[in-house]
Amino acid sequence: MIHSSVTRRLILRSLVGGSILLPGILADLLAQDARDPLEAREPHFMPKARRVIFLFSTGGVSHMDTFDHKPRLFQADGRMTGVGGGLSLEQRPLLRPRWAFRPGGRCGTLVSDIFPHLRERMDDLCLINSMTTDNNEHFQATLAIHTGSFFQARPSVGSWLSWGLGTFNRNLPSFVVLAPNLPYAGTQVFANDFLPAYHQGTRVVPGPEPIANLRRHNPSPPAHLLQGERGDWLQQAELDLANAFNRGHLKRNGNDSDLAARIRSFETAYQMQFEAPEVFDLSRETDETLRLYGLDRGDTQSYAWQCLVARRLAERGVRFIELIDTGSSNNWDAHSDLGAHEPLARRIDRPIAGLLQDLKRRGMLDDTLVVWTTEFGRTPGQDGPRGRGHHPAVFSSWLAGAGVKAGVVYGKSDDIGATVAEKPVHVHDFHATILHLFGLDHERLTYRHAGRDYRLTDVYGQVVREILS
Amino acid sequence: MMGDLVFVLAFTAPALGGQPAPTAEQVEFFEKRVRPILVTHCYECHSQNAKKLQGKLLLDSCAGIAKGGRSGPVLVPGKPQESLLITAVKHIDKDLRMPPKSKLSAQEIADLEAWVKMGAPDPRVANPLPKRGEIDITQGKKFWSFQPIKRSEPPPVKDKNWPITTIDRFILAKLEAKGMMPVGPADKRTLIRRATYDLTGLPPTLEEINAFLKDDSVDALAKVVDRLLASSAYGERWGRHWLDVVRYADTAGDNSDFPIPQMYLYRNWVIDAFNRDMPYDQFVREQLAGDLLKDEGRRMKDEKKEQFDSSFILHPSSFSPLIATGYLANSRRHGSYEDARYPWHLTIEDTIDNLGKTFLGITIHCARCHDHKFDPFTNEDYYALYGIFSSTRYPWPGIELDRVQRDLIPLGSSAEFKKAGDEHYKKLAAMEAVVKKLEAAKASADKIKSAKDERDAFAKQPLPYPTVYGVIDGKNEPKKRIGQVGNAKVQIKGDPDRLGKEVPRRFPAVLGGQSLNAAVKGSGRLELAAWITDSANPLTARVMVNRIWQYHFGQGLVPTANDFGKQGRPPTHPELLDWLASEFISPERKLGDRAAPMLAHGAGNWSIKRMHRLIMLSRVYQLASTDDEANLKVDSANDYLWRFARRRLDAESIRDALLFVSSSLDRTPGGPHPFPPTMKWDFSQHKPFKAVYETNRRSVYLMTQRIARHPFLALFDGPDTNASTAARPTTTTPLQALFLMNDPFVHEQAKKLAARLLREDSEDAVRIERAFVLLFARSPSAEETMQTSAFLALVAGRLRGAGMTAELARVGAWESFARALLMSNEFMYVN
Repeated sequence: MIHSSVTRRLILRSLVGGSILLPGILADLLAQDARDPLEAREPHFMPKARRVIFLFSTGGVSHMDTFDHKPRLFQADGRMTGVGGGLSLEQRPLLRPRWAFRPGGRCGTLVSDIFPHLRERMDDLCLINSMTTDNNEHFQATLAIHTGSFFQARPSVGSWLSWGLGTFNRNLPSFVVLAPNLPYAGTQVFANDFLPAYHQGTRVVPGPEPIANLRRHNPSPPAHLLQGERGDWLQQAELDLANAFNRGHLKRNGNDSDLAARIRSFETAYQMQFEAPEVFDLSRETDETLRLYGLDRGDTQSYAWQCLVARRLAERGVRFIELIDTGSSNNWDAHSDLGAHEPLARRIDRPIAGLLQDLKRRGMLDDTLVVWTTEFGRTPGQDGPRGRGHHPAVFSSWLAGAGVKAGVVYGKSDDIGATVAEKPVHVHDFHATILHLFGLDHERLTYRHAGRDYRLTDVYGQVVREILS
Repeated sequence: MMGDLVFVLAFTAPALGGQPAPTAEQVEFFEKRVRPILVTHCYECHSQNAKKLQGKLLLDSCAGIAKGGRSGPVLVPGKPQESLLITAVKHIDKDLRMPPKSKLSAQEIADLEAWVKMGAPDPRVANPLPKRGEIDITQGKKFWSFQPIKRSEPPPVKDKNWPITTIDRFILAKLEAKGMMPVGPADKRTLIRRATYDLTGLPPTLEEINAFLKDDSVDALAKVVDRLLASSAYGERWGRHWLDVVRYADTAGDNSDFPIPQMYLYRNWVIDAFNRDMPYDQFVREQLAGDLLKDEGRRMKDEKKEQFDSSFILHPSSFSPLIATGYLANSRRHGSYEDARYPWHLTIEDTIDNLGKTFLGITIHCARCHDHKFDPFTNEDYYALYGIFSSTRYPWPGIELDRVQRDLIPLGSSAEFKKAGDEHYKKLAAMEAVVKKLEAAKASADKIKSAKDERDAFAKQPLPYPTVYGVIDGKNEPKKRIGQVGNAKVQIKGDPDRLGKEVPRRFPAVLGGQSLNAAVKGSGRLELAAWITDSANPLTARVMVNRIWQYHFGQGLVPTANDFGKQGRPPTHPELLDWLASEFISPERKLGDRAAPMLAHGAGNWSIKRMHRLIMLSRVYQLASTDDEANLKVDSANDYLWRFARRRLDAESIRDALLFVSSSLDRTPGGPHPFPPTMKWDFSQHKPFKAVYETNRRSVYLMTQRIARHPFLALFDGPDTNASTAARPTTTTPLQALFLMNDPFVHEQAKKLAARLLREDSEDAVRIERAFVLLFARSPSAEETMQTSAFLALVAGRLRGAGMTAELARVGAWESFARALLMSNEFMYVN
């Protein structure tokens, strides 16, 4: 409720009276009274990162074929065995990695030929080769890397950050998920769950209408009759009339801040119709930039489009931007033939490398955290004759940008990539570290629900301090 | 998670009591070699002074060692090999390494072994066994919600004219004590709109509003309430509240989210039960143990004649308690495995979690891995309930590695059903036998595969009779069940592979601890239902009347409707809560309420409809929603009900009201969803089941999934389909505004609303009036009429200018006006 003095109210009212669509300044005045759930908030301590671009590759990317060089595996001769099978429960002949490894950047970290462009960016990355998770099923592992919970639906890491820190741009959602297809565990991976719904991930489906209802469908009367100076004069007129009714209603109902907030939500939505399409309109990007990402002009379906849009969302103050490369089928889940990794890698390699370069030259990498991960690794032993099984015991991920050491490799797997040999980083540690970079203590970022204080990291998690710059 | 292992030791030994006193040599050995090890390496986590006692194990006293860890003693005196203390320090078992982060030296281990071998003589007898970490049930019972319901006399009030009912006296007494004055009454238009949305989730019609306005009798509101309670829309609204609490979904929630084509029967059963005002105790009993009720067989016989029409829609009169057990069957499923790896313990946890919150307002599932941290529920209390559900056969919805529905219950017991079922299973068994034979004969892979395919295709065929997705007392089936009918064992730290001692099935100790009679052969669900609905149970009635109160007023007397424990909020009006609870469960009786002569009967007999009446006819329910500066200063949250809290419509009401005002709402009850036929089920985690089915029926009939939320319900704060929703949050987001501005569904309703207004009246002024009454239950002000007329003229003129015919432009303007109305706050909010 607005409890302010009568004088202030009168001023507000007279301002309202003079306008039909609420001007921004008035909305701000109202916002001071209404609790604004998305207002930017102070973290627990000085943050290094202001926003994150979270790149998720669905299906389980093979670590020993990409970022984790295992010379011993190259000697596999059909007789040597190691953990294998579909769910890493059997001993099977070791499978030789499919691609050769070469050093990248000045740091010289070895990366396979599957990621030639990313390899050139290794000086920007902090590679973790000792990631570990607890479940060998896609659904559970995917849910866990997003929510810290394997079986129960819980708020996504993006929702936690949105709830904990708010956002910089109220004309866009605070948590945007660019996903052509749904991953395992469906919408649960970007759901707010028990956190307020403002903090749910808004899914953007690459294509003509990235956010639902940004424009009118099948407008009646037909669109060509409605174009005014700024878009749709008829919609403006309708909003004006609704607002006139709303103002009377607000006045009769004691300036209830919930009602005021709803009036404002229409103003924001109205602005979003113009601002959001602008985010997705790449016509002003130079040819040089498009080339950097490997994007053809006019293409809206590629991962390169996702990466460039991610940069534009980051520029406009969206807090958490997630890119999901592919859905719960036709993904990295290469049981029978690792060859399936190749087109998927080609799809993301240059765009991600381009994104890192672009962020860096714009100075954005200083306060943008870029994360790349998958749900688990793959077995050193065979599953199908040329493929690998699910392997939660160890896998690779990387971080880049704000607050993270660059050009380093943290942690080690054993000589065939079957277990963590040094410095394990569990999913909970991974989350604790991400929150830390945002100035949030994962043990203090709690939400009271159903009689209990919940955390992203449950009762676990340790910040991996060694990788902090 | 790595690390963080706890020194929890299972036990095999008898207690150490009665040991002879240690000799001088033994004492010396203990003091020199053993005690230092314990102090240095163990006391940090296993002593009275431990910052956080781990595994409930105290190693700083003789008695503590004798009592042992979570489940018993840790030593077998004289037998180091059998003593878990030794196993643990030797790091033999990877789940039980102590100390967890380092290993004792070989000498230290040898000393401990020698000590155990000599009988573990322990001179520390003087140390008493502390109570630390133990849950004290006597103390626990003192918490308000575990105290018996205490019916108190309504308190005296200063303003004797204000109360209409007894409820009002409790309310006013608090307000007066806090120095507040309630605001005035709501006007009649506000009141009928409030009551109609409240009981039916729909707006009132013009005729209903007019009838109420004309009715000057003292019981005008009572007539409205009775009319609304008698409408089928009532069950659709209040049944939906119940479905929120029991986290209803039409899919199973496993990795492929298998559809459950029979689930709608339970949904319809709930709606029907509310409409029939089934007494709440029976409502609880049937959901927990409908299959075990004595009269079940008789009822089936009576009703089997008229059970189904061709589309398998349950006939309203032929509800069955078997269907009610769909409540338990609807527990969440997990994973993709069909075999021993299937996590039944999580499905049962979901049952216990929901049952605790729904019926008792307790969070007993927190005691799965350890004693409850705040409330007096022990780890054993949890497994005492667990045994009841591990003795229950849940139906199998299908899963990625076994895509066939199994263990469904035939809905009926006729001879035809039996015959058809027997034939079906005989055929299936024959096909299975062929597979076995081919396998035994080492036939070619092709042959085996084709036999298997034939068997699996047949298994996927629907059963030749209607089935229910419900539970029965369970016998084990290979691969599927985790336990026999009988007691369960404690799962140490919630790990189903680490079993502790067996716990007899019983009710939580703090709630009475009733246990199963030795003669009980089944699961114990019927007894559990009896314990829950026992009128001496302090929680059941309180929790339910609180829910009813919450849905009427927006907030419960206990604001945390699912948690009546220490982490919840205490009642704002404890005496009123108890008075309502005692009223709710009292046998049929006259309410001695002189102030309300229009009440033909009081509450009681677990009747929910009577509770509504009791509450809604109180003055406090009829207050306006206006502000009051003085009251706001004292109680800005309106905890003490000095006014009626304004509310946004919930997701279902928004959609239903949109359809209602456009005359598009299909009022027929929903039947089964158009799921793909079972024969075609090929869902996997890679291609999970996912669908949105359009319908113009009420939103309670929408198909709701667990993995992917229904997009509309997710947008407007719909219920969580994975966990109990005690109360809906209300958020206001620009994405909701975009929906109302641009979604084709809204545009469609606006178009129809405009057509309706144009059709039903001939004059614009009357049409405008009608639109306002339809949406807001009030007439427009002169200013609003003027604004609207100006708007219509402006829009029509501009559309004509853009080239439309006069008629089309006029219609276009009305559609535009309709859209403005549908976006307005007044349509979305109820005072």
